[in-house]
Amino acid sequence: MKTCIACGMPMEKTSDFAAGDVNKDYCVYCARPDGTMQSYDEKLDSMTEFIVRTQGLDKKAANEAAKSMMARLPAWKV
Amino acid sequence: MKETQRQKQKSQTRKQIIEAALKQYAKTGLIKTPTIEIAKSAKVSHGTIFAHFPTQDVLLTEVIEEFGFRVNKRLHELVEGKSTVEEILKAHLEGLTEYEDFYIRLVSESRLLPPQAQDTVIMIQSAISHHLSRAAEIEMSEGKLKKLPLHMVFNGWIGLIHYYLTNHDLFSPGESVLKRYGQELTAYYMALLQVRI
Repeated sequence: MKTCIACGMPMEKTSDFAAGDVNKDYCVYCARPDGTMQSYDEKLDSMTEFIVRTQGLDKKAANEAAKSMMARLPAWKV
Repeated sequence: MKETQRQKQKSQTRKQIIEAALKQYAKTGLIKTPTIEIAKSAKVSHGTIFAHFPTQDVLLTEVIEEFGFRVNKRLHELVEGKSTVEEILKAHLEGLTEYEDFYIRLVSESRLLPPQAQDTVIMIQSAISHHLSRAAEIEMSEGKLKKLPLHMVFNGWIGLIHYYLTNHDLFSPGESVLKRYGQELTAYYMALLQVRI
């Protein structure tokens, strides 16, 4: 099973992949409306917003957690 | 050729250590398990552990990360095709039941762990909060569930199950707390969320 290089989500179904394209290495949530992959800043913002909205963490803490999680993913590893 | 064989052996030993650590940490705790116990269980010398993981914290963080990856993958498989909040809560408990011993250690000790390990807990929670929020939004808009803040729906559930998990010795000594109370917890939580007709 492929894992999204930008957020770590496991991708199984075609609809999990960006633009429904199973050859892509990133998921539907990491794609822009035109199908290209979001930038680091866009992803960091959307992941922070997601954590705040669904888990209620403080915005700064959520941002730090998102940064740390992203640092371990292939798309953003330095 | 020789080099490849050596690399293969190296990666095999590394896997062996991680597998042994996953079992040992689940049994005796994340903070207080000495590396010598992991070495014994992996059937390698104590020095071999440090040849692969320079410090105890590095080993612990990597093992927790591996655990997070496995749980996430499993939760994703289980919630696949589930569309209601109730189905997702059940799938969540089913996934956690399979990894219950380690998960209990992780949530009980998380505040004492290195920051990276704490972020793994948030990563595991994100896998569920994502699916739960999507399902809750739909059912709230259909009038089946009370209109409540999504993060409170998630945190209320996590608070409830973590209370049972971290006090497992009081609720179900010697047996799985999720197996024993899972149904009751889900039914209770759904009753709180559902709109009474």
